[in-house]
Amino acid sequence: MTQAPNARALDEHLQEMVLALHAAVSRAMSHLNDDPALVDRAIRDCEEILDVVLEGNVAEWLGPAT
Amino acid sequence: MSTSVFTDKVEAADFPKMDGEYHDLLVRVLRIQADCEIGGPHLYVRNILPSAPSKVDQLIVARTAAEEADHYRKVARLAGDIGVDVSDILSRPNRERYVNAFRGEITTWEDFAVFGFLIDRVGRYQLEEFVGCTYAPLDRILPDILIEEQGHIDYGHNKTAEFAARGGEARERIQKVVDFWYARALDMFGSAGSRRSERYLAWGIKRRANAQAREEYMREVKPLIEAMGLQVPDPNAGREFV
Repeated sequence: MTQAPNARALDEHLQEMVLALHAAVSRAMSHLNDDPALVDRAIRDCEEILDVVLEGNVAEWLGPAT
Repeated sequence: MSTSVFTDKVEAADFPKMDGEYHDLLVRVLRIQADCEIGGPHLYVRNILPSAPSKVDQLIVARTAAEEADHYRKVARLAGDIGVDVSDILSRPNRERYVNAFRGEITTWEDFAVFGFLIDRVGRYQLEEFVGCTYAPLDRILPDILIEEQGHIDYGHNKTAEFAARGGEARERIQKVVDFWYARALDMFGSAGSRRSERYLAWGIKRRANAQAREEYMREVKPLIEAMGLQVPDPNAGREFV
């Protein structure tokens, strides 16, 4: 079966972004009571990562399909 | 019409040998599922992540969106493995989403809560259709996705109940929001006389007819809505499909 171009590369790129989101959320949840600045930074990081995900500019993420 | 059901298990390597109808049905299922998974975050991230009532709520919104993006990733990979590129769905404008419930924007916390309570619950029903399905790769990705969707549903349920418990105007507002999303939820199950629905069953891709799944959903949510002291909306009000 022929895969769609960039299927694996897109999968890996999205997985990195999802892991980054989860890491930011986990970090912030651990410091809710003792480091409000860290929590705010983590929320902003999540907003930035989600902006990229939802923009969905796959050509920019991966380059032209091969 | 034959009532036989296809029960073989199909892997990606088998897909090219399958009947053209199976191709079309599976590709449609994967495209719609991918669209719904990423459609949710497109509805609410922009407005609700910055404005959620507390830092914890903001983080939960972010985590919810991350999980939905991951669900999209998994479905997109399945599609890619059979040669179907669904990357265009990532950036599709909301107004072009397959399902009406995902066209528009969510701008209030009440809407976000009820969306989780009612619409993510339909999402769970749709995913459950594929449990044990003939396309084995799809069956395999479901367990983790279903656990995460249940988390979204529970959070939405709790937040909806909190609004209802405040009474007065807050309860009236949340009732209106429930009325709005309930109609959209019921429509997500499709029309009762759908021929495509019969073909999904015949090919072992889905487990239930549209009407049966919708009835089961209504039976599930009725006591949950009533337990909050809210009224179950008229199931025929505001509907596009029956």
